[in-house]
Amino acid sequence: MGRTSARRIPVDGITVFFIILAVVSGGALLILNGVNAFSEALGNGLDLMLEVMPLVVLAVLVAAYVQHLLPMDFARRWLGGSSGLRGLLIATVAGMLTPGGPFAAFPLVLGMRGVGASIPVCITYLTAWSMLGLQRIVVWEIPFFGPHFVLVRVGSSFLLPLVAGLIAMALVRFAGEPT
Amino acid sequence: MIVAYASICVVLFALVAAGTLHADVSHRDTARLAWRQLLPLLTRLPAAFLAANFLVALVPAHWFVQFLGQSSGVTGVLIASCLGAVLIGGPMVSFPIALVLMQAGVGVPQMVALITAWSLLAVHRMITYEVPMMGWRFLWRRVTAVLVLAPIAGITAELVLGVWH
Repeated sequence: MGRTSARRIPVDGITVFFIILAVVSGGALLILNGVNAFSEALGNGLDLMLEVMPLVVLAVLVAAYVQHLLPMDFARRWLGGSSGLRGLLIATVAGMLTPGGPFAAFPLVLGMRGVGASIPVCITYLTAWSMLGLQRIVVWEIPFFGPHFVLVRVGSSFLLPLVAGLIAMALVRFAGEPT
Repeated sequence: MIVAYASICVVLFALVAAGTLHADVSHRDTARLAWRQLLPLLTRLPAAFLAANFLVALVPAHWFVQFLGQSSGVTGVLIASCLGAVLIGGPMVSFPIALVLMQAGVGVPQMVALITAWSLLAVHRMITYEVPMMGWRFLWRRVTAVLVLAPIAGITAELVLGVWH
């Protein structure tokens, strides 16, 4: 990684999208609802940003520590070749424990496929990681929405990775495994 | 917010302590990794916050309560699932938007459906990671398998809250 790329603030597609969205929606609000509505929305946005921004810095630090502390090949070792309901259960737990964003999870799934994990196991793993990932829950969701909301959401969805795996099993029986 | 700051400080303190005990974890490397992941957020997050507030201000306030409020029921859960599926960006961008929506009067079951749909179907993640690494044939099987989960999560949340109260 070059020194310049680390210093420069990267602007990617998503950032451009949100900048355009902010300009267009801000302009529309100014024209349609007037200056007062615009400045109120702007004030609300800046207030929330000031409140949340330091939290984001702390959250990113927490995420970096988690990524350095947890060995990433643990899920790969557990899941290679496992299948059936037992495989789906292990995949659920492994998905919940996998830290980091998609840059960490997808290479892992690719590795799992390489050592023989079935499609339903991979789908269950990705579902558990994206819906019930503990790192995201602790770092982002509890701070933003509070423990009550998180309890309701996790309580309503902790069986769903298994459901996804079972649907995937039926699907694979019907449509076959991709090569 | 105070609870949020307190809880994340406790977690961070514990992790720093664990990192100090681990010989192969360097605080400097960790800080560098965090800085690299923070950089894109410094432009993306302000833009997302402003866009979310402008958009919410553009939509008449009673619409949120009517279509996505606590009393909007299964219809609201389905609308929220569709909304979550088209929400782009990682948790650092999506959660502030969701927070603005929640303050605008979106109900808890509808919010559960929205966040579940976003976490399962995030389009940007499919395009940047899933398609290049796993291929289309894996993608359509996964999407088909998880399509019904967001409405199920929302409706279950509605039932759970009904029993709770």
